[in-house]
Amino acid sequence: MLNMKNIRKVFRTDLVETCALDDFSLTVDQGEFVTITGPSGCGKTTFLNIAGLLETHTSGLYLLDDVDVSQLGDYARAKLRNQKIGFIFQSFNLMPDLNLFDNIDVPLRYRGMKSAERKERIDKALDSVGLFARRKHVPAQLSGGQQQRVAIARALVGDPLFLLADEPTGNLDSNTAKGVMALLEEINDSGTTIIMVTHDQSLAQQSKRNIHILDGRISNASNETANKEATAA
Amino acid sequence: MFLYYLRLSALSYRRNPILSSLMVMAVAIGVGAYMVIFTLNYVMGGNPIPQKSDQLFHVQIDSGNPNTQADPPPQLTYLDATALLESQAAFRETPTSKFSGILEPEGDSARPFSISGRGASADFFPMFNTPFLYGNGWDRAADNDLQQVTVLSKLMNERLFGGADSTGETIRLHGYNFQIVGVLDDWSPIPKFYDVNNNPFEEGAEVYIPWNLIIPLSFPRNGNTNCWKAPDAGQEGFLNSECVWIQYWVELRDSNEEADYLQFLNNYAAQQKEFGRLPREMNNALFDVEEWLLKEEVMPNETKILSALAAMLLAVCLLNTIGLLLSKFLGKSAEIGVRQALGAHKGSLFLQHVIEAGFIGLLGGILGLAVATAGLEGIKVLLGDDLMLTDWIQLNPTVVAVTLILAIFATIFAGFYPIWRACNINPAIHLKTQ
Amino acid sequence: MEIGPILRALTRNKLGVILISLQIAFTMTVMVNAVFIINERSKLMARPSGLDEPNMFYLRSTGFGDQFNSEITEQDDLELLRNVPGIVDATAINSIPISGGGSSDGLRLEDDPTLPSIPAAVYFTDERALNTMRLNLIAGENFSGSDVLHQRSSEGRNYPMAVVSLALAEALFPEEGQTAVGKIFYNDSNPVQIIGIVERLQAPWTNSFFVEQAMLVPLNFISSTSTYLIRTEPGQRDRLMVETEELLAGNNSNRIIRDLKSMDETREESYRLDSSMATILFVVILTLVFITSMGIVGLAVFGINRRRKQIGTRRALGATHAEILRYFMLENFFISGVGVTIGAVLTIAFSIALSSLFEMPTMGWYYTPAGMLILIGIGQLAVLGPSTKASRIEPAIATRSI
Repeated sequence: MLNMKNIRKVFRTDLVETCALDDFSLTVDQGEFVTITGPSGCGKTTFLNIAGLLETHTSGLYLLDDVDVSQLGDYARAKLRNQKIGFIFQSFNLMPDLNLFDNIDVPLRYRGMKSAERKERIDKALDSVGLFARRKHVPAQLSGGQQQRVAIARALVGDPLFLLADEPTGNLDSNTAKGVMALLEEINDSGTTIIMVTHDQSLAQQSKRNIHILDGRISNASNETANKEATAA
Repeated sequence: MFLYYLRLSALSYRRNPILSSLMVMAVAIGVGAYMVIFTLNYVMGGNPIPQKSDQLFHVQIDSGNPNTQADPPPQLTYLDATALLESQAAFRETPTSKFSGILEPEGDSARPFSISGRGASADFFPMFNTPFLYGNGWDRAADNDLQQVTVLSKLMNERLFGGADSTGETIRLHGYNFQIVGVLDDWSPIPKFYDVNNNPFEEGAEVYIPWNLIIPLSFPRNGNTNCWKAPDAGQEGFLNSECVWIQYWVELRDSNEEADYLQFLNNYAAQQKEFGRLPREMNNALFDVEEWLLKEEVMPNETKILSALAAMLLAVCLLNTIGLLLSKFLGKSAEIGVRQALGAHKGSLFLQHVIEAGFIGLLGGILGLAVATAGLEGIKVLLGDDLMLTDWIQLNPTVVAVTLILAIFATIFAGFYPIWRACNINPAIHLKTQ
Repeated sequence: MEIGPILRALTRNKLGVILISLQIAFTMTVMVNAVFIINERSKLMARPSGLDEPNMFYLRSTGFGDQFNSEITEQDDLELLRNVPGIVDATAINSIPISGGGSSDGLRLEDDPTLPSIPAAVYFTDERALNTMRLNLIAGENFSGSDVLHQRSSEGRNYPMAVVSLALAEALFPEEGQTAVGKIFYNDSNPVQIIGIVERLQAPWTNSFFVEQAMLVPLNFISSTSTYLIRTEPGQRDRLMVETEELLAGNNSNRIIRDLKSMDETREESYRLDSSMATILFVVILTLVFITSMGIVGLAVFGINRRRKQIGTRRALGATHAEILRYFMLENFFISGVGVTIGAVLTIAFSIALSSLFEMPTMGWYYTPAGMLILIGIGQLAVLGPSTKASRIEPAIATRSI
C-alpha cells in the first residue's frame, strides 16, 4: 500500500547541504498502525511531508497504492492527497472562519462531490466523533480535544487509504490525549491504516509497530518483529 | 517617552516599508487632492473684503420687464444710478462700470495701446479700502466738477513711469489729458465682488477715472449691457432707456443707516412709478458682499462638484489607511504581546500606536504638500494665464498648516479602530504560538 | 463550487469586507459620475459652430485722435484684406461666434411686448459674412451689399431682414424649419423678414441655453473699433495672421491693432473650463483606481499572509493551485459585489443630486452597470497577483509548528 525504497531528501541552501532522509525504506500494509518516533530534527517531519505528498523527495522510489508518485505533477499529487490520505495535524489546522460542518466539507469540495452525498458523509463523520450537535459552531468555541476530533472527522470523511497523523496529541493535555488516542485506535480497529509521527515514547510503545528514526535513517524497528509475531499468533 | 515612541514609529516603518509607504501614499494623495480643491475654494469662495463686507451693499432697483417673471436685473440704469449719486443718501456710494480706451504715451517711440478702465466715484477708494502706493483717490468735488483726474494701477504705473511716483503727471487717454492723483498698490480682490457681472475672476482695471466722465467724454463702454426694451435712437435715447449696465454700491455703517437707505430707495422708486417708470411691483433691496456673491452664484459649479469628489477621494484614502493600519498593527501582535508581558499597559500601547499613526500621517502630509503643489501647478497650466486666479492659486501658510493638521488627524482618526484592536490583543495567545 | 463556505467565512470578517467594499463603492461613485461629466463636457466641446474654424482668425482695429475716420478706415481695410493672396474673404462684424462676448435680441412673432420672447444672438455684419464664415446656406438667399445699412449704434439697431440659423427658424416657427424663408418676426415693434436659413451658426456664448440660435443681419455699426473676421486658404492662416497684423498696422497710424486671435484659440479659451474639468476628473479617476487597487492588494496580501497555514492545510487536504487561486478570486468577487452594489446606490444618488443641483442632464442607465462591471474587473485584476502568490504556498507549511 505504501512502499518507500531508498528515499533520499536533501535540503540545499547556499552554503550547506543537509540530508533529512537518507536511504530510507519502509513498507506499510493495509490495516497497520505504525508510529514513527525520533528526536527533534531527525527527519520525522520530512518523512511525514514526503509520505503525505506535501514535499517531493530527491531520489528513491515511493509507491503509493502501486502508483509511482515521483513522476506526478502538482495537480495529480493534490488529487492523490485528497483521495488517498487523511491528515491530522498537531495544531488541528481547522479553518477558524468556517463552522465544523464547513471545515469537514473542505476535502469533499475539492473532490467535487455532489451536495447530498457530502452532507450525508459529513453528518456521519460528525456523528462518529460525537460533535454532530455542534456542527454550526466555529473552532474557537471548542476545546482542544474537540477540535482535534473535528480534524479527525475531516481526515476520515473522504474514506482515505490511510491516516497520516502529526503529533495528534502534542497540543493536548494527557487526559484529552488519551481520549484522542482511543479514538484513533478504534478507527484502526475498524480497518483504517494509521501512520502517526510522535515524539512520545509511551504512545509508541502502545502501537503495533514502531519505527525509530535517527539522523534520517531507521535506527531500530524494536517492536516490529514482536508485533508481527503477535499478529501471526 | 514621546521621542521613544517616535523612534519606535520610525523603526516600525522600516520593518514594513511597503505597507507603510502604501499608507503614506494613500494619505498623501487623499489629503493632497483635497487641499487642491480646498485652495481653489479658499481663493475663489473667500470673503474678498472681510473687514467691512457687512457694511458694503449692492443696490437693487427692480427696473425689469413687467411681462416676464425673470429675476430683477443685477445692474442699474443710467437714470437710476445718476439719481442715486446726486442724492448722496448713503454714507459713501459709488456707481461703477467698465470702459476701454486708447492710451497715447509721451514721446514718439512708444506706440499707443488699449487699456481696460473703470469709472468710479471718489468714494470707491475709501469704500473698498484700496491700498495706495502714491497719492490718493480724487475728492467728491472732482466727481461733481467733471475734473479729468485718474488713478493708475501699480502695473500701469510701472509700464508708463517705471514705477516712479507719477502723481501730478498727465496721461493722454481717449484723446483727453488726465492728471494722475494716485497710484494703487497691488489690489485684486477675489472674486472681483464690486463687478461680478463682468468676469468675477479677471484682473482689476488699469486706469480709474470719475464715472461721471464716461458719458460726456464718450468713452466706449465695456461690459454687460442689458435692455428689455429697445432704447430710443441717439445718445439721449440710450441714457433715458431701461438698459442696465451700472454697478451701484453703498457703504452703510449700521442697521439704522441700512433701514434709512432702503426707505430712501422705496421713496425714490415710488416717485419713479409716478413718472410711469418701474412697471414691476416694487422690489428694492440691499445685498451685502457675501449675500451678493451668493445670489449671483459667483462660485462656478465645477468647484462644488470637485469638492464633493475630493471629499470622496479623501474618504477612499482614509478607508484604505484604516485597512492598512489594521494589517500593520495586527501583523505585529507578537510584539504587542511581548510588550504587554513586559509591563506595558493599555494606555501606553494606545499612546504608542497613536504616535505611530500620527507619524504616518505627518509623512503623508509632507508628501501631500508635494501632491497639492503639483495639483495646483497642473490647474494653473489648465486654466491658462487669463485669470488673475493663477497668481493666487498657490500654497500659502494657511493651506500648508491645514494640510499637515488634516493629514495627522485624519490618519489618527482612521487609526482608532486598528489601535483599539492592537491594544486589546490577548498576549497569551501570541506568546504561546511563538 | 465553494460559494457557501466563502460567503460564510466572509461574514466572520465583516470589517475587511466593509473597508474594501466601501472603497470600491466610493471609487465607483466618483468614477461613474466623473466619466459621465467628462462625456457631457466632450459632447459640449464637440458641437460645431458652423464656421470653418481651422482656417479663420480675427483682429480688432481701434482708432484714436481727430484724424481718424472709422467709416473710411473700415472700407479701406476690408478692400485691402480681400485682395491679399491667400485670404478667401473678410468681413466686418460686431462680435465673434463662441468668443464669449456679443449681442442678443428677444424676438416675437407679433408686435406685442407681453408675449414671451425667443432670444437669439445677433451678428451685425455685411453680405460677405456668409462666405467668410463658410456657412452652409440651406434655404433662401444671402442679403446683398446694397441691403447693408451703415450707421452709428446710437442711431438704433433696427434691421429689416436676417439670415437665421435653422435652430432659430425652428424655435420661431416650430412647424416650419427650412420653409420659414419669407416669414416675418418682430424685434420689439420692428418687423424682420427671414431671407435665408443656414444649417448651423452658434451664438457667442457657449454655455447659453440658446447657443444654436443666431442670425446675421445687414447692419454695419460705424465705431472707432472694427472687428475683422477673416478666412484663409487652408494652411495659410498662421502666416497670414502675422502678415495681416503688420499690413493693417502699417496702413494707418491713427489706430492700434489688437486681439489678434485664431478661431482655434478662441474655441480653446471658451471651452477651457470644460476641458480643464475633464482633465482634472480624468486624473481623479486614475488616482482613485490606483489607490483602491493598492488598497485591495494591501489587504489581500495581509489576508493571505494571515491565512498562510490555512492555505497550506487546504493544499494538504487536496486543493490544487487552481482551486486556491479561484478561492481568492471568488472571495474578492464577492467583496467587490457588495462594493458595487453599495456603489450603484451611491452613484445614482450622487447623479440625481448633481442633476438637480447643477441643472445637468440625467445619466444614461447603462453607466451604472458598466461601472459595476469595470470595478469588479479592476478588483479581480488587483487581486490576481496576491492570489497567484497564495496558490504557490507550499502544502508542507501545514505541518510546520509556526
